[in-house]
Amino acid sequence: MASFLYHLGRYALLIWRVFSKPEKVSIYRKRLFDEMVTLGLDSLGIIMIISLFMGAVITIQTSANIDSALIPAYTIGFTARQSTILEFSPTIMALILAGKIGSNIASEIGLMRVTEQIDALEIMGVNSGSYLILPKILAAVVINPFLVVISMFVSIGGGYMIAQFTDIVSVPDYVYGIQFDFRPFHVNYALIKSVIFAFIFTSIPAYQGYYASGSALEVGKASTRGVVFSSIVILIANYVITQLVLI
Amino acid sequence: MIEVTGLYKSFGENKVLDDITSSFEEGKTSLIIGASGSGKSTLARCLVGLVAPDEGGVLFDGRDFLGMTGKERRGMLKEVGFLFQGSALFDFMTVEENIRFPLDMLTKMSTDEKAERVQFVLDRVELKDAHKLFPSELSGGMKKRVGIARAIAPNPKYLFCDEPNSGLDPQTSIVIDNLIHEITQESNITTVVITHDMNSVIEVGDYIMFLHQGKNWWEGDNKSILKTENQEVLDFVYASEFMKKIKA
Ligand SMILES: Nc1ncnc2c1ncn2[C@@H]1O[C@H](COP(=O)(O)OP(=O)(O)OP(=O)(O)O)[C@@H](O)[C@H]1O
Ligand SMILES: [Mg+2]
Repeated sequence: MASFLYHLGRYALLIWRVFSKPEKVSIYRKRLFDEMVTLGLDSLGIIMIISLFMGAVITIQTSANIDSALIPAYTIGFTARQSTILEFSPTIMALILAGKIGSNIASEIGLMRVTEQIDALEIMGVNSGSYLILPKILAAVVINPFLVVISMFVSIGGGYMIAQFTDIVSVPDYVYGIQFDFRPFHVNYALIKSVIFAFIFTSIPAYQGYYASGSALEVGKASTRGVVFSSIVILIANYVITQLVLI
Repeated sequence: MIEVTGLYKSFGENKVLDDITSSFEEGKTSLIIGASGSGKSTLARCLVGLVAPDEGGVLFDGRDFLGMTGKERRGMLKEVGFLFQGSALFDFMTVEENIRFPLDMLTKMSTDEKAERVQFVLDRVELKDAHKLFPSELSGGMKKRVGIARAIAPNPKYLFCDEPNSGLDPQTSIVIDNLIHEITQESNITTVVITHDMNSVIEVGDYIMFLHQGKNWWEGDNKSILKTENQEVLDFVYASEFMKKIKA
């Protein structure tokens, strides 16, 4: 417990420093742009592949679990859309990115720590936390909502492919289902989550990397901790946000 | 001038620095020598605030560095150049970008002036054609030299070099020693060099501090070190057969 509070306090202090006013805005602008490009482009492929299969599988699963004539066929499309928008696209994608981007951030920053590159920044009077971490957090917070929206479309498209190429559900039923009782608020809810999760899966691994010490071995451990902790915090945050917003 | 008074530092039970008092003057190359693990790097890191000492004071031309706020410290560090023992080049930048980085951060130079300055310091460390290489493409000695170029690029008032010539061949080593010695005199820099290279000690040691058991065991210059009667210094200086022959 004491150690938990210690880490929480040190994490809060780091975030405080990360968001303190940067010295040279021009340099941050370039880094932010670079991070956005890397983050967006490098994650797009995996997001699309996973979303496509996810949408297809949700559609098949839903139809397999509904075999009552009383339930209308459009329920399949409706359920696929709801689960995609509410949970799969924002939450599962965040967990995937926590693994992909989180481990990357923790090991990159951790390696800079153990090779004294962070000390070198400090010696130059640079706020190293802000210089290294701020562009990553901002880039993720800006890009992740776009990735989530893309994931939603691709996932629903995956379901459409099932409707098109199998006889599990007819195309008109599916298309009617995905439009049925559509509430834009649900998309907003997903976007809010995507912003909060992006903050989590960048800042927690960054914290782990920033305070790594010793050797490359420690960097590996920091990277694992970054992924595990950010995934857990994402799941807890998801629960809390859902309670607060949807109920 | 950098003045150190009563500096203590322990890592757990390990007493690394034990009441270090000394001063390093401007325009002079001050050397810190001592066995591996004797606390040389730790001392340098304490002086610039990378390691917090347990006790003691550090004055940069009368300014109490350890008593400063974070912001004041950052301001003062703009006058400090530091070569790390492991070079600490930024992996994601080329040689050129590494050297230009402190210029971007610390100076108001124009793009042309920066390019000129980068070329100038690269010439001085004898790396004319390395601009576009990444640190992973350099040898250990080349990294050291880029590290020195980066440290001296913004014209620091205080220069710290942690083993500037470890990993260099004897010839390049002398070039680097002389470079540090020259710019120290030219620009009246307060320079602190950590080394175990006896060649450097003899060539450029305007002031020498011998660290032993965490203490400032012996101090003097490159003439007095050859005449000292202090047993630990003698053991250090005349460890090699070559030096023994010189003495004889
Ligand atoms: N961050 C740290 N945590 C714990 N112990 C440390 C730390 N940094 C240094 N030490 C210890 O302090 C002592 C001095 O280390 P330091 O790196 O200052 O030696 P050095 O004189 O620079 O040696 P070398 O010539 O090999 O570079 C060593 O015993 C080392 O184990
Ligand atoms: Mg050392």
